[in-house]
Amino acid sequence: MLEQQLINGLTLGLIYALIAVGYTMVYGVIQLINFAHGEIYMLGAFFCVTFITAAGLPFYAAIFMAILCCILCGILLDIIAYRPLRKAPRLAALITAIGMSIFLQNVALMIWGSRSRPFPQTALPPFFREKALVLGDVSLTWLQLFIFAVAIIMMIGLYLTINKTRIGTAMRALAQNKTAASLMGINVNYVISFTFALGSAMGAVAGILVSVYYNTLYPTMGYTAGVKAFAAAVLGGIGSVPGAMVGGVVLGVAETLGAGYVSSLYRDGVAYAVMIAVIIFRPSGILGKSVIDKA
Amino acid sequence: MTPLLEVNGISKRFGGILALTDVSFNVIEGEILGLIGPNGAGKTTMFNCIAGVYKPTSGDLVFTLGGKSQRINGRKPEKMTELGIARTFQNIRLFSALTVLDNVRIARHCRTTSNFFRSVLRTRFQRAEEKEIVDASMRWLDFVGLGHHALANASSLSYGDQRRLEIARALATEPKLLLLDEPAAGMNPKETRMLVDLIHAILDAGVTVMLIEHDMKLVMTICKRLVVLDHGTLIAEGGPKEVRENPQVIEAYLGRGAAHA
Amino acid sequence: MNIGKSLILLVVAAVLTYPLVPQSSDYIIHVMTLAMVYMILAMGLNIVPGFCGLLDLGYVGFYGIGAYTAGLLTIHYGLSFWVIVPLAALNGALWGALLGAPTLRLTGDYFAIVTFGFSELVVLFLTNEIWLTRGPLGLPGIQPITLNLTWLNDAWYFEFYDKTPNFYVVALLVGLVFFIMRRMEDSRLGRAWYAIREDPLAAASCGVNILNYKVIAFAISAAIGAVGGAFYARWSMFLSPDMFKFWESFLVLCMVVLGGLGNIKGALLGAVILVSLGEVLREVLSSLGLPPESRFMAYGLIMVLIMRFKPAGFFPAIASSGRSNPLLIDLQKRLAARNVPKEETRDAAT
Ligand SMILES: Nc1ncnc2c1ncn2[C@@H]1O[C@H](COP(=O)(O)OP(=O)(O)OP(=O)(O)O)[C@@H](O)[C@H]1O
Ligand SMILES: [Mg+2]
Repeated sequence: MLEQQLINGLTLGLIYALIAVGYTMVYGVIQLINFAHGEIYMLGAFFCVTFITAAGLPFYAAIFMAILCCILCGILLDIIAYRPLRKAPRLAALITAIGMSIFLQNVALMIWGSRSRPFPQTALPPFFREKALVLGDVSLTWLQLFIFAVAIIMMIGLYLTINKTRIGTAMRALAQNKTAASLMGINVNYVISFTFALGSAMGAVAGILVSVYYNTLYPTMGYTAGVKAFAAAVLGGIGSVPGAMVGGVVLGVAETLGAGYVSSLYRDGVAYAVMIAVIIFRPSGILGKSVIDKA
Repeated sequence: MTPLLEVNGISKRFGGILALTDVSFNVIEGEILGLIGPNGAGKTTMFNCIAGVYKPTSGDLVFTLGGKSQRINGRKPEKMTELGIARTFQNIRLFSALTVLDNVRIARHCRTTSNFFRSVLRTRFQRAEEKEIVDASMRWLDFVGLGHHALANASSLSYGDQRRLEIARALATEPKLLLLDEPAAGMNPKETRMLVDLIHAILDAGVTVMLIEHDMKLVMTICKRLVVLDHGTLIAEGGPKEVRENPQVIEAYLGRGAAHA
Repeated sequence: MNIGKSLILLVVAAVLTYPLVPQSSDYIIHVMTLAMVYMILAMGLNIVPGFCGLLDLGYVGFYGIGAYTAGLLTIHYGLSFWVIVPLAALNGALWGALLGAPTLRLTGDYFAIVTFGFSELVVLFLTNEIWLTRGPLGLPGIQPITLNLTWLNDAWYFEFYDKTPNFYVVALLVGLVFFIMRRMEDSRLGRAWYAIREDPLAAASCGVNILNYKVIAFAISAAIGAVGGAFYARWSMFLSPDMFKFWESFLVLCMVVLGGLGNIKGALLGAVILVSLGEVLREVLSSLGLPPESRFMAYGLIMVLIMRFKPAGFFPAIASSGRSNPLLIDLQKRLAARNVPKEETRDAAT
């Protein structure tokens, strides 16, 4: 049974990791907890389903379109809500982020209603629910394999973008020192927009994968997932992209094992408890830097 | 006589940068000690170590008060203030949304004790203390010449007045040692002259002063003794004349080769 | 006394006498009582983001702790409301200190997220510890507030089932909290908080122990939230875990932001406005066939717009810290009388 739990936890964890990198990258460049990131994730799922049901697009095309829409939302979110507050006190930006999160969530609520809906199964490739691998008691569906593959490919892509491209270098420079970066001729706002775009794309994919995996989507889904992914980012060390990946996987496995062996009632509690414990005992996370308030 | 503050081999490392390397000097009670050096020499870092903002990587700070010496390195800023070390900031750090008076009243924090219950009940003790806080704050504001601005907003003051308010705020904590980080920066000549008088008045009030300043004329006229830092190391110590003629100092300020010119 | 002040007093007096009018509507009394519950919460929350500049996203956790403390103590031990209020406040303060002490040394963002996690854990606890809280079924049958004055007169034993006495009880609590807030604001304690909000490093250099004062702020704020919860429990006579979800924290934060961070009277106005707006929106939205929760869209938008265009809130510093303090009035007179040229003032003190 343990092996099966580990596999389920790993699936969930990879999805958390996809969301968590969005938090961590934005935090890296503008030191803001983008609470509305969970809503981008939720929108990803809804856009995808809407493109399938309303526009009749095939599954993969709908994914692609949903990603584009979410990228646009992410960039607009930054430009409209956060950019005017770059020089304002941190508290103002943080409150704005919360406000945007609630706002977007309720816009979705008004458009799509509050009830959860299933993912249109007919649009999915039929082999998704079939078992790809069976080893004794442990089984792995094609869908899970698909999630593994997508998540890992996206992580590798992200890694290459950050470490091997010009814009990635600019992102890292910005995370180090904003003034110096702008003095060296980096277009700060462009890099920030790019960061939001990258994070939103990952978030959108995560939202779609989750809604397919659990066969359900609802407007408040971004709220718990967002906090858990943030917990994953904290666990890995905020601002650290590899940390967010590790943190997501650890958290997903911990949550599944906690639900399986301790108490399924406290499933969500595991994430919060881990997060609080990490923040109290090792605030720099597994791979991050110190965050103790110097003053 | 034991010095008020002994700085013994203080080093401070930030990651790869050694901002201070084995710096030692003494601060003698009742003097104005100048701390000078080119930009990035480590002067502010030295202040931050003494004021408890940074914990020195190695070395000792020994503070002597009423014949009792204690090792103070690594204590928190509020503990240093309580002990009698106050400071101003190179980049003015006032509570800018508050009034001039409130800025100074906050500095009375460490010399007063009223807690939540006393404040809510407004006990006789608390009321007396509040009155004492206002009176003392006004005394210090008058001392620096800002009394008439007491109820104005701190951010509405002119630059020079803001610097003086920082000094009043530091003095209101009743320090034995006052650390002034470039107090004359941005002041006009008239304000600078008033500052010189003010520093002498502070000395007369029994407070020892340590001064970082780039204005050499100012430093040379009011400091009897100077300590010179360069790249985090102490390169000279002594009277203004000695220091001015020290080749290492000239080199530090004017660049290599200048001493021979 | 100026016109503005008399006008405010008049409005307060009118509101306070309203329930005594024979034609008064139960619905309006109910809404006003609810608004006053939120006034307590908004004032309490204001201490943390308003006075100390730290975002607290878990305020509802303390509200819930206070409510369940009151509910359980009433059901199991039959304690009087007047005993329960201080106990709930203590319990709230205890949890506030326990949570704050290890986490308040972190930067503000981490603190915000910890408070969020904490309040979610509170809801999970209330939902799952069925032996104690009956879980999602909720806690029904909480006795209303009673007032036992039989030691004065044998007939004087009152049970507050009616709306009117509850209205006056909560009005009393609002008055009490307001009084405490005003006194804290204009004291050594309040000044230390303002200093931390303005510049933590300068505050420490003035001798303020930052961590201690943040923990005190958080504990007092939690205590006030718990008092609000205690009243709510005895007033609604029913509690369930989903009354204490994140939405409530958000709503209270929105009230504080609307009224202006750090502005006590502003928090009161923010509570009135958003509770009324909530009632109006509930009607409007249901007539449009929209779910009632979508009113939060308006709240979210309000917060974003205020932070962008009016970060000091709509009612900027109605009274700046302690302007009515006799010491300052006296000082103002002395300064006006002095009127001496700038240069000579310094030597006067030495
Ligand atoms: N918090 C810090 N982290 C990393 N490096 C620091 C920090 N504070 C100071 N430094 C470095 O230490 C060195 C000394 O800085 P410091 O501010 O003490 O110089 P200074 O003598 O006060 O210069 P100035 O005259 O320009 O004020 C500089 O190289 C600076 O970059
Ligand atoms: Mg300096």
